[in-house]
Amino acid sequence: MKTPKNLKTLAIIFLALAFVGFLDATYLTTQHYLGAIPPCVLTEGCSAVLTSEWSKVFGLPVALLGAVYYLVLLILVVAYLKTGREKFLLTASFMTALGIISSIWLVVLQFFIIKEICFYCMISATTSTALFVVGLFILVKSRRENQTPKSFNPSQVT
Amino acid sequence: MNNNESYKQIVFWAAIIIGIGLVVAGMIWLVSLQANKPTDGSVTIENTIAPDDWVKGNRNAEVILIEYSDFQCPACAYYSPLVNTLSDEFGDRLAFVYRHFPLPKHQNSKPMVYAAEAAGMQEKFWEMHGLIFDGQTKWADEKDVKNIIVGYAESLGLNVEQFVKDLDSVELKKRMDETFQKNDRIGITYTPTFFLNGKRISNPKSYAEFKDIIAKAINENPEKP
Repeated sequence: MKTPKNLKTLAIIFLALAFVGFLDATYLTTQHYLGAIPPCVLTEGCSAVLTSEWSKVFGLPVALLGAVYYLVLLILVVAYLKTGREKFLLTASFMTALGIISSIWLVVLQFFIIKEICFYCMISATTSTALFVVGLFILVKSRRENQTPKSFNPSQVT
Repeated sequence: MNNNESYKQIVFWAAIIIGIGLVVAGMIWLVSLQANKPTDGSVTIENTIAPDDWVKGNRNAEVILIEYSDFQCPACAYYSPLVNTLSDEFGDRLAFVYRHFPLPKHQNSKPMVYAAEAAGMQEKFWEMHGLIFDGQTKWADEKDVKNIIVGYAESLGLNVEQFVKDLDSVELKKRMDETFQKNDRIGITYTPTFFLNGKRISNPKSYAEFKDIIAKAINENPEKP
């Protein structure tokens, strides 16, 4: 019974990371809609990054897309923890590839194109990278687990 | 699945949705709290117009709006037409003062300051100021903005030869360095920063809000007989 426990621990770490990402992206999204015109600040580049032409995709702020992404991950992991059905967790783990690819692009934009670093955007890049790593662990664990003869029903364990 | 079980399911997911809703609501509350910081009079400046200040409207107006601004700052470009309209709307009742505060991270801010000042020597400061802000997205990332600046001067019908001479002059740069240092001492950290009759105001979120603030100040300061 050791493996499912590990998987559950990983799922909880995943949940916590997705929650941090969700808070961060929600903060930036509300900033976008309520903050009106962010002034140009002496010390940091958030306003430059968040008002740049790359801050929107199809008219939607990137922060909002991020918030939705983290929300989907959160719901999938909660669904896994609630039902014990691994496919929820595996879907979430696969989805982290989406997050890390977007994050790499957004970090490249900040470093090389906008040449300003936005602290809150870097937090999101960090959480998506961590989620990707945890997702990999989950995929590896679950594969190993499925290779061993099944002697238990996961939905009873979780 | 029996009824009790599905009832539990519904309650569970409703709780999750409410939880997420609360997190989002809390975030909106936090951000709006931040955004609506009261108009703080904590930072003040001397409410006088210097002889070398660029003033739009009536120099002797009872209400003075001073802006510290950076030509390369997107927020400043956003406010530029707003302030213009304010100045038109309130006419003689308002003095609008534009002061330079180029942020070090903006490489083209200072060249644009020189451009505006050189145009100012031919009495076209505000015209150049308008062109610079209108074209901000076009020149902000350029390595060399001189051609663009000269193009602006031509389109304003300036004496271009004189303009270029003034633009490149050491005196102008020296004079502006003094101005930058003077404006630096105010201790502001962002642009645009607006002072209304010497008191810093938080940046209005819309034209209507800005207009209300100015109108209120004008009502509080009746015209001298």
